[in-house]
Amino acid sequence: MAAKPEITFRGHGVSPGVAWGRALKIDSQNRVMLRVEVADPESEVARFLKAVEMSKIQLQELKGRLEEKVGVEHGVILDAHFLILDDRVLREEIVERIRAQRANAEWAVTQATERLIAAYKSLEDEYFRERHSDIEHVAERILLNLSGDSAFGLGRLPEDVILVARDFNPSNFATMDLGRVRGLVLESGGRTSHTAILSRGLRLPAVMGLCDILASVSTGDLLLVNGDGGQVIVHPTHEHLENARRQKEALAAAAEAAGPMETAAATADGMALSLRANTELPHELTAAIACGAEGIGLYRSEFLFFAHPHGFPSMEEQRSVYSTLARAMSPHPVAIRTLDAGTERLGEGGERSTNPSMGLRGIRLSLALRDAFREQVEAIVRAGSDGNIEMLLPMVSTVEEIRQVKDLLAEVRSGLERAGIPAAPVPLGVMIEVPAAVLVLETLAREADFLCVGTNDLIQYVMAADRGNPAVDYLCQPLHPSVLACLGRIAEVSGRMGKPVRICGEISSNPFFAVLLVGMGFRQLSMTPLAIPAIRRALGKVSVAAARRVAERALTLATTGEVYDYLVPEVSCLVPIDLSPYEKEIRPSRHE
Amino acid sequence: MIRQTLMVANRLGLHAGAAAKLVRLASRYSSEVVLGREGANQRVDAKSILGVLMLAAGMGTRLVVSVEGEDEAEAAEAIRRLFEDRFGEVP
Repeated sequence: MAAKPEITFRGHGVSPGVAWGRALKIDSQNRVMLRVEVADPESEVARFLKAVEMSKIQLQELKGRLEEKVGVEHGVILDAHFLILDDRVLREEIVERIRAQRANAEWAVTQATERLIAAYKSLEDEYFRERHSDIEHVAERILLNLSGDSAFGLGRLPEDVILVARDFNPSNFATMDLGRVRGLVLESGGRTSHTAILSRGLRLPAVMGLCDILASVSTGDLLLVNGDGGQVIVHPTHEHLENARRQKEALAAAAEAAGPMETAAATADGMALSLRANTELPHELTAAIACGAEGIGLYRSEFLFFAHPHGFPSMEEQRSVYSTLARAMSPHPVAIRTLDAGTERLGEGGERSTNPSMGLRGIRLSLALRDAFREQVEAIVRAGSDGNIEMLLPMVSTVEEIRQVKDLLAEVRSGLERAGIPAAPVPLGVMIEVPAAVLVLETLAREADFLCVGTNDLIQYVMAADRGNPAVDYLCQPLHPSVLACLGRIAEVSGRMGKPVRICGEISSNPFFAVLLVGMGFRQLSMTPLAIPAIRRALGKVSVAAARRVAERALTLATTGEVYDYLVPEVSCLVPIDLSPYEKEIRPSRHE
Repeated sequence: MIRQTLMVANRLGLHAGAAAKLVRLASRYSSEVVLGREGANQRVDAKSILGVLMLAAGMGTRLVVSVEGEDEAEAAEAIRRLFEDRFGEVP
């Protein structure tokens, strides 16, 4: 068979590195539609029949609720679904496909229902033609129930793959088989998407923004992904693959030559710095330790929630995760940020807001869901006896929110004391990411034990511009004078009040910006674990005095472009390391 | 085997609700029940909702119903009554 012609796609390289492997396409629900040859078809048949039984129980329940709400006659709609689930012809076809093709249940269900759907779609009568959607609903439900215990979902892949999809829900990272995923290729998304940030943290080469690549790739096609250049090659030639292999080896050699980790992070003139890791997945803990992180500066707890089947992990489940983190990092601190999500992420029951980023989210949502929040607070307090745990509140905009949390903390602590359970004191930190918080910083700082700046959100809120909206993302510039003014004020106030403060945004992993932050007076930076060695090296070349001079001058400039044009050559001069790969991250997208 | 030709007399035809009744009724008997449009080759299992709906039988459609098995007499009679009863549709 002749080799298929090579096709090259160009998008945004959002996570560096080179990877190759077989494509695995996943559908809009991020389900794997992979045909796998199974060793034991009978256990697949049993799994399928169990999914059907579960679906029937759910439908029965749903029917009861529907009839209660809108009357018995409407339950008839679900009656048809019930009978489709029970349809012996369909069931026999699926079982037959599993046995004859030794296929996984998901594959057999999809194939059989797709054939039926096509047959229904060809009917002339509109009413009967429309019944194809009933089959779709039933198939959807069976697949959903199969995914719960699938041996072949994203959680357990049979071989190394490159994932190819339109979108990718970042919560998949929590459950997918990371040992098997070599790269990520998406039609949508950009550098600052959460999926991109996580890919970088996991060292997973990723290219996004590839228009129409799905149409040209089938599951099983060989792909070559270049996360540096933003290039994806479908059916790469032998020569291209060899080049990639050599490139990867050269990178590994360079990393080794960079030498072992220095002892403690400090500036050239010996000012101690604390470089910590932002993490959310268990795998990143290993990276944090390997990269010499002096603690977890930000643990995003929402991934425990998103990955949980019911949305709310129990107190015990949470405590066990927080305790693991605390023990692994001890004696360094671990800051658990409480649930930072909007209602849109917590199931269908949530309010629909036209402006979710300004809605019920972060600490606002936690205080509204007080029972669930109390569980999280208790889990954090109890984990405190296993190491150095801190609690961090997201999206605080007013001092009352801190006071309410303190009351709840006191309640939880006295409850634990009464029960004879040890409860170590847990420092309370406040995320500064809403402009209101910057304006009343002195008041907040008096109530909190420490401050933490979430630059990703702060930039969006200060500029009133959504970084996901391409029409205004040019405003979301970390080097914008308004953003720098906010950061300058935060450094000044916390310095004056002697309140510990750290920067927890993506931006602290950029050496140019890190120099600026040190110059403003920040000494604690928290970032994606793998960025720590490079930042440690860069800051080790700069004295506090030199950094301060750079920051003072940068704060006087009028536009993002002016700041960029000043900062890049100035820092490049101070730091005798090639920083050119980092320029792209802070370059204004519309250079004035 | 008992074979009879029955007409779908209800206004809505053999839609989801009527089909469900037919499937449930046929499933009560051990006999095999097969349906087809009069004069057409397509045959469907009357115990399969997806089969019955696939007939797309509107009002006035004539269906050939074949019943075969131990209880074929009772089954054929019950099915005939369901058709005559217009599947319980309120006129």
